[in-house]
Amino acid sequence: MNTRNRELLFLLPAMVVTSVGFAIVWTRQMERLDPASLAPGAVFLGLFGLVHVLRRLVVPHADPYLLPITALLSSLGILMIYRIDQQLARQQALWLVVGLVFFALVLVVFRRYRRLADYKYLIGLGGIALLVLTMVAGREVNGARLWIRLGPVGFQPPEFAKLFLVVFFAAYLDDVRELLTVSTRRFLGIALPPLRYLAPLLTLWGLGLLLMIFLKDLGTSLLFFCALLALLYVATGRLLYVVVGLSLFAGGAVVLYHLFPHVQLRVDIWLDPWQDPLGRGYQVVQSLFAFAAGGLFGRGLGGGYLLSASGNTIIPALETDFIFSAIGEELGLVGGVAVILLYLIFVQRGLRIAVRARDDFTRLLATGLTAVFGLQTFLILGGVTKLIPLTGITLPFVSYGGSSIVANFGLLALLLLASDGAAEEREEA
Amino acid sequence: MQRQVRYLFWLFVLLFAALIGQLTYLQVWAAPALRTHANNTRAIEQEMRVERGLVVSSDGVLLAGNRHEGAYYFRDYPEASLVSPWLGYSSLRYGRAGVERAYNLELAGESDLQTVRNFLDLIMDRPRRGADLILTLDAGLQRAAVQALGDRRGAVVALDPKTGAILALTSSPRYDPNQLDQDWSKLVADENRPLVDRALTGRYPPGSVFKLVVAAAALQEGTVQPDTRFDDEGSWLVGGFKVRNYGDHAFGEHDFRAAMAQSVNTTFAKVGTELGAATLARYASAFGMGEELPWRLGGGTGSFPDPDGMDTAHVAQASFGQGEVLVTPLEMALITAAIANGGRIMAPYLVAEVRDYRQTILERTEPQVWLAPISADAAATLRDLMVGVVEHGTGTAAAVPGVSVAGKTGTAEVGEGDPHAWFVGFAPANDPQIVVAVVIENAGTGGTVAAPVARAVLEAALR
Repeated sequence: MNTRNRELLFLLPAMVVTSVGFAIVWTRQMERLDPASLAPGAVFLGLFGLVHVLRRLVVPHADPYLLPITALLSSLGILMIYRIDQQLARQQALWLVVGLVFFALVLVVFRRYRRLADYKYLIGLGGIALLVLTMVAGREVNGARLWIRLGPVGFQPPEFAKLFLVVFFAAYLDDVRELLTVSTRRFLGIALPPLRYLAPLLTLWGLGLLLMIFLKDLGTSLLFFCALLALLYVATGRLLYVVVGLSLFAGGAVVLYHLFPHVQLRVDIWLDPWQDPLGRGYQVVQSLFAFAAGGLFGRGLGGGYLLSASGNTIIPALETDFIFSAIGEELGLVGGVAVILLYLIFVQRGLRIAVRARDDFTRLLATGLTAVFGLQTFLILGGVTKLIPLTGITLPFVSYGGSSIVANFGLLALLLLASDGAAEEREEA
Repeated sequence: MQRQVRYLFWLFVLLFAALIGQLTYLQVWAAPALRTHANNTRAIEQEMRVERGLVVSSDGVLLAGNRHEGAYYFRDYPEASLVSPWLGYSSLRYGRAGVERAYNLELAGESDLQTVRNFLDLIMDRPRRGADLILTLDAGLQRAAVQALGDRRGAVVALDPKTGAILALTSSPRYDPNQLDQDWSKLVADENRPLVDRALTGRYPPGSVFKLVVAAAALQEGTVQPDTRFDDEGSWLVGGFKVRNYGDHAFGEHDFRAAMAQSVNTTFAKVGTELGAATLARYASAFGMGEELPWRLGGGTGSFPDPDGMDTAHVAQASFGQGEVLVTPLEMALITAAIANGGRIMAPYLVAEVRDYRQTILERTEPQVWLAPISADAAATLRDLMVGVVEHGTGTAAAVPGVSVAGKTGTAEVGEGDPHAWFVGFAPANDPQIVVAVVIENAGTGGTVAAPVARAVLEAALR
């Protein structure tokens, strides 16, 4: 079976899960059986069917598993959001359509994605510009300045900035990686790469981080930091960068902890949310209660205690940052592990593209995109399960949020292009 | 480069394995502790999804039902004035009180007795339901008691002396349990404390109704007979303390029978001081004062002073129910029940049966003896003295035409305001069907204020 048909085949279970899930929630809420309950599943089937056809035409050799996983995750997301708030789910469905259109645009416009490397500085500056724009024009929501308004639509530039910066770093490291691996001088017995090649990297890195600190968005800062560290390691093959990077990080973390009360708060809550379970620790404590309530098999779709009598969610930001707590409560450990494994498969497929790539830019691009995706998943899932301090970022494809959905479909499109590029050369060879 | 990408993949495997480990810890290992954590209100939320058991009076009146809203069942009390405050409340926000709390496991369907039924419901895919409570309380009698007490601060307890079954139980001021969440802050701030169940936990000086305990002790110990002679000059100086009769009335020469009927303080002070503090304390305890009641609803919080610290003046005061002697209305009803029931106090109970929704009886309360403070002879003698109180003594206002009523009035002096009015009694005297205890705060004399309330309850019960 060729990869195209394999993708079509794997889209089917995603559609079945979506249709059955919606039918269950619908039936529970309406308290009656209704053929209309199957409609959302049919709509998804249509949408992803269309995208699949486009992908057959544009990137016929691309990885066949990424799109079905995305379909499953995003429909699970809409399903959970629908379960929480039907109005939000309608908006999210709209954003999904926008995301798929964006996906199609990126596929078609950047079909020759290697040419992106030629515009790396422009793209890098574009990413920084997005962050500056947010700092200047952004509105603070929940203590973090992430939003700017474009007419009626709220827009989160950092979600897109991460794509720009990954493309820039992939292209830049592709150029200079040879030079970075050659040491010209030694300091304290450690071989150092030429500073002039490292300088632009560090500058942008520092600038990006600084901006994120000003935007008070810990999650995205951490994400940038770790993703670029991973890229640097892959590009140079030198663990030294990782060691230096991690020490920098540890030092920075200590400084941040003492400088910023909101950082301190996050860490304190992580260390002991039970100190103030009704106040500062409330969100994390309620998330833990939700997981405990779910147990092994969960309370079933629509059976969880997600909404209070007044209709507010028990856990604040349930539909965005804490969507996984809702999944854990209603689908249990079994469902939660399944979701984690879906993300791991996505990461595996993404890195597989990097391994099989014939040129270094494609390799670095696939690595960077996958690292951003995987780390974002780990940071938010670790945060809501109290494995690590909570940083407010979205769970890719599942959380409510237009910018997040659209940006991640952009990421998927670039990844599929890289995959097709890698496979195409193989077939030609 | 490929090698580094592979390492990166294994790093992700490690990170995601840690996530799965943490998730397993939360959802399996730590889950039981988290589910029962003090800050976890999900337990109440879970119980609110279960159709809570009904509470029904002995004459079949629904006292607590359910209102279905969304996924939850909310409590509905169709007869709010009859059930407040003893039945309590069941609120998502403020928890539970009264019978709702004491019998929560049964009402929520979680008692051990329901394990089999719940399992059957689970495998048959039927929703779990709580068990119903069938009370001993008679709604008709309860209505009469509530109306007789009215809005006056106080309490009325009526019970069957032969079984210990509570027939009526009310306390005023009341609150509306249907409006609890809205009224909460107001109820907590109210200085009349409507949330407190005065009938079970209100601690009052008993005044002259405590003379029943003194008389019982004296008759049992043989220090006094009904025709023992006493002399009264209106007051009696003992240990530097001047005992006065109510209204400074001088009764002259009289027997113990008359001392009971007219509630002569000087005579009881003499009888009490002769018995001594230790004997009085022993009898108070034998009648159940300050003893933990053999049921789940609490109460039994009365007290008699420590006899070692009492001088003669203090003993004299205690002999007519003043001087730091405190009883609850229920305790006073149980003391009276001993006299009505041949010297034996039956264990009080309010819940006659616990039934599951299929009407299978899960638990039935069998009457049992709790305490036996005095002999049947002493009880019979005392009963005759109490009949005199209602026939020609201070309690004539409690008389019911055609029925022989036994009783005792009390007028308990308090620090501020009018005295508390007491009446305890039972009827018919020769075959007691009902014991009643009435207290009304700061309302005047027992004979004029409390006795008519008792009569209304007795009439309603014997009609």
